[in-house]
Amino acid sequence: MGPHLLKRLGASILTALIASILVFLLVRLVPGDVVAQMMGQAGGEAAERSLREFFGLDQPIYVQYWVWIGNVLHGDLGTSWTRGMPVSDMVGKAFMVTLEIGIATLAIATLVGVPLGIVAAIYEGRTLDTLIQGFNLLGLAAPVFWVGLMLLVGVSSLLSWSPPLRFVPPSRSLADNISILILPVASLALLQAAAYSQFVRQNVVSAMHQEYVRTAVAKGVPVRLIFFKHILRNVLIPIVTFMGLILIQILGGVVIIESLFALPGLGRLLLSAIETRDYPVVQGALLVVVVAAMVVNLVVDLAYRLIDPRLRHG
Amino acid sequence: MSASPAAHLSRLWRSPDLLVGSILLAVLVLVALFPFLFTAHSPVAISVPDALQAPSAAHWFGTDDVGRDIYARVVYGARVTLSICAGSLLISAIIGGGLGLASGFFGGWLDQVLGRLIDVMLSFPPIILGVIITGVLGPQTGNLILALSIVYLPVFFRIARAGAMSETGQTYVEAARSIGLSDGRILRRHVTRNVTPLILTQYMILFPLILQIQAALGFLGLGVQPPTPDWGAILEGGKDYILFAPWISIFPGVAVLVTALALMLIGRGLQRRLDSR
Amino acid sequence: MIRHALRHAMAGALLCATAFAAPSASAEDLYGPLADDPSMGGTLEMGLLVEPPGLDPFHQAADARIRLSLLMYQGLFYEGVGGEAIPLLAESYEVSDDGLTYTIKLREGVTFHTGQPMSAEDVAYSYNYIRDPANGSPGAGDFSMIESVEAIDPTTVKFMLSVPNASLPMTLGNKYGAVVPAGYFDTEGAQNRMNVESVGTGPFKLVEFNPNSNLLLEKNPDYWEEGAPYLDEINFTFLPNSASMLVALRNGRIDLVKLERPQDVQQVATVPGLEVERWASLNQKPIDLGAETKPLDDVRVRQAIALAVDKEEIKNASVGEYGEVIAAMPAGMADGWGVPAEDLPNMSRDLEKAKALLEEAGYGDGFDLTLTTINGYDWMDPAAVTLKQQLAEIGINLNIQRVDIGVWIDNFRSKHMGFTFNDWASQPDPNLLFYRHFHKQPEGADFRNWNNDEASALLDAGRAESDPAKRKAIYAEFQKVLAESVPTIMLFSADHVTVRNEKVKNFSQHPTGWYFGLVRTYVDE
Repeated sequence: MGPHLLKRLGASILTALIASILVFLLVRLVPGDVVAQMMGQAGGEAAERSLREFFGLDQPIYVQYWVWIGNVLHGDLGTSWTRGMPVSDMVGKAFMVTLEIGIATLAIATLVGVPLGIVAAIYEGRTLDTLIQGFNLLGLAAPVFWVGLMLLVGVSSLLSWSPPLRFVPPSRSLADNISILILPVASLALLQAAAYSQFVRQNVVSAMHQEYVRTAVAKGVPVRLIFFKHILRNVLIPIVTFMGLILIQILGGVVIIESLFALPGLGRLLLSAIETRDYPVVQGALLVVVVAAMVVNLVVDLAYRLIDPRLRHG
Repeated sequence: MSASPAAHLSRLWRSPDLLVGSILLAVLVLVALFPFLFTAHSPVAISVPDALQAPSAAHWFGTDDVGRDIYARVVYGARVTLSICAGSLLISAIIGGGLGLASGFFGGWLDQVLGRLIDVMLSFPPIILGVIITGVLGPQTGNLILALSIVYLPVFFRIARAGAMSETGQTYVEAARSIGLSDGRILRRHVTRNVTPLILTQYMILFPLILQIQAALGFLGLGVQPPTPDWGAILEGGKDYILFAPWISIFPGVAVLVTALALMLIGRGLQRRLDSR
Repeated sequence: MIRHALRHAMAGALLCATAFAAPSASAEDLYGPLADDPSMGGTLEMGLLVEPPGLDPFHQAADARIRLSLLMYQGLFYEGVGGEAIPLLAESYEVSDDGLTYTIKLREGVTFHTGQPMSAEDVAYSYNYIRDPANGSPGAGDFSMIESVEAIDPTTVKFMLSVPNASLPMTLGNKYGAVVPAGYFDTEGAQNRMNVESVGTGPFKLVEFNPNSNLLLEKNPDYWEEGAPYLDEINFTFLPNSASMLVALRNGRIDLVKLERPQDVQQVATVPGLEVERWASLNQKPIDLGAETKPLDDVRVRQAIALAVDKEEIKNASVGEYGEVIAAMPAGMADGWGVPAEDLPNMSRDLEKAKALLEEAGYGDGFDLTLTTINGYDWMDPAAVTLKQQLAEIGINLNIQRVDIGVWIDNFRSKHMGFTFNDWASQPDPNLLFYRHFHKQPEGADFRNWNNDEASALLDAGRAESDPAKRKAIYAEFQKVLAESVPTIMLFSADHVTVRNEKVKNFSQHPTGWYFGLVRTYVDE
């Protein structure tokens, strides 16, 4: 497993490096940099020049990149140009919010989606299966932000309740934390539970149609035993893989949910930093997103190998 | 008599997913092609005194903040939204599929370089990629199409590459090589033909996903230019009135949902057919 | 439940702008009316749709910054609602006969948030810092007529000017710059530290500023004004859209809000326990016409456009009833400085005349024109589609192009604004309103490439004139030139509309849109 892991790691680092260069160039292509924004409809050329110097924007782009990547490799993501805070603090805080949403969504989606999928598979072709499949389709087809919007309005007008305004980390008050996250997580989890359930159903169904399962049934082996011994083990690998896929999906979907529900996560940080042309924050946030996606993929890859011994020597 | 159309039809019947999806999609395409058959209202004509009216016989889906008919906007929006999605997905299928074919068929350094680039693109979650590109380039239809066509390009690339690689090892390709057919000809004649169904199926599977990303970007204000009626853009315009005039947001959302549903049913049917082959 | 509280307190406020103008205290309270019997303490929850990009009053031009930073930082004067500069950190001032020397007496007993007392050295340092372009302040241009600032003794500073400037006191207000401890910017990272810790003299101190989340201020216990402020804390929450803000307001999670889109009022107007109030405003929503863009270089084309525009309809589409159509002066200054629309050219719709002008200019068959709007400025979308319909009637085919604010600012600053909506405000003084925008280069910025000699001469005269009546006549003349030659078409001023929970008392909204009123606000639980 060692050489494989090393190879994967090396490839990932190379990918991240190329991605960072792309991002670096991309944000600098946008008209209207941070200085223009600070000056607004005011100001003069001399003041503008000295600000541009202050931010190092007068340097050639490759020099700017060299300085930035050098600092990143020393663990320094720089300082926000608009907020004056260390980018690592801002991104770190935001990442924890997004991570919590991601994990909560994943947990709920798994807890709802996997049993639904199994039930649907067991009742294949019958009414219950049709109903669950209907739920899956609706969940997959409904736009996440639209579901969020509908939930927000529905809950607000029916129950006269709205989520608290400011994010509270679970360490400070779990109750507040939950009441803030309940609607956004519900709207994200609906989609992912549907995706999960559909995926699990498909896998369980195909496992049930395998020759050895049929033979076992024919031989009179108890169904429960067949299910736990053969089918579940066979669908475990795809489920783990799918978990990684979903986590990456959530990482993307959260951008919109965060702006809708005013959550100070990575997605909203990224959007506002693009808007204010705060390059160090855009770069730092994207770097974290890219690295997080890679780590998820690596972990999935590892888990895959642990569960399936055949791959260990493959 | 030729049994082919009848056979087709009966196969369609046997797959209710495909049937229902196709009927729904046919209606949507009809709406997109001939919106004026479905409404007498203009999607852009404003009428300030009629602003924010609830659904009624005159305005089936109500009116928005400047008195435009939401039903007309949703109907005309079908063309805008569907063509942007279909177009950008087509671009990614052609470019991604083409590059994937070449990469898988020829291998070597080309495969290495392209593979690395695709990895870079894949390292961004889809919506984030869309947000960066439209955020950076600015909210314009052309940029939106560009952003959307990049989002799923890697998926087409990988599928075409894998398809091409498995085809390349086939005996008939080797046979074709041995009788002196040029690589280009083999690629065109055999490999492409066998990979195309994979790409088409993937196209249908990704369509509802790109539709949702398009709507999401519209919702973030990164979509088409006003007053173009686009489902995501209508939703964005309605979100601030959600308490007072929820109909502005409800109906374009339902339109996205129904369209995604139709496309998913078709995609599922196609996938099943492909699997059973 | 809408209480009409439009305040027109403009008249008669122009009498004391000359020498020895320590104004009578009866004229106007600082920051807003004092409360009779306020409850002390408590926290106010306020919702904001726009998050300030930073809190530094020296280096951030964003209006979202000014609105809040003035609670922590103070200039020498306060922008009185009546258009008069009222001494704030200053106590009184004298102007020399040639109008070039301002000797300003400072308030005593003022301390910074850092605990150190304020002296004339600090004042001189702060204004010398901001006026030096090398320090990169967007406000530097506003202070360019200052030759030197000197501390005479611990409580007196002297400002020397290169040209007479009647609006110097207003310039020394709270928009750009403030008094901070001498030498503050000498230390590394001082600019950035302002987002973590406040160093001003204001009634509130910064506690925390969290991106995309909130800004928390607490009462400055050592504030120089006796008994102020009333609140212990103000917590500003940044919300990304008005839907979530209205929901929060309705469910009592937010106590006070200034609506960016006045028509959102309808969604909460009937909710018991919420009070809606309207306030006159100094902002203006114009169409700007950059003469660098053909065919806008032809004055006849600009006039034709002005004659084709129906301001009332655009206003109604954009903000409904919550705004006032304007002629050539924002609503908040119209009483004091404005010329009535009927006395100005090109103010009422006349399609025949517009068509004739286009014919004359060689555009009888119409032409294509692109209107730029800004992403996130909600009023611009309905206004744009309305304008499109109006201009179609004289054969102009309008394409709407929505761009990001960064792109827009870039176009604006590089003087390639083309045909665009704008949204801006200034302090209540005609010199500060018009000079930089409309005076030809190099003295002004002349963003619209107007390059009008007559207008520039009038602007110079108005700036130097200290007699109120003469000053008013000069700016009336200027407005006529503006209306005749059409570098901009001022459409309307949107009212400031605030919604507060009943328990919030004595809040008043300043016409600039800045939150001075919070200093006088209290919460009655």
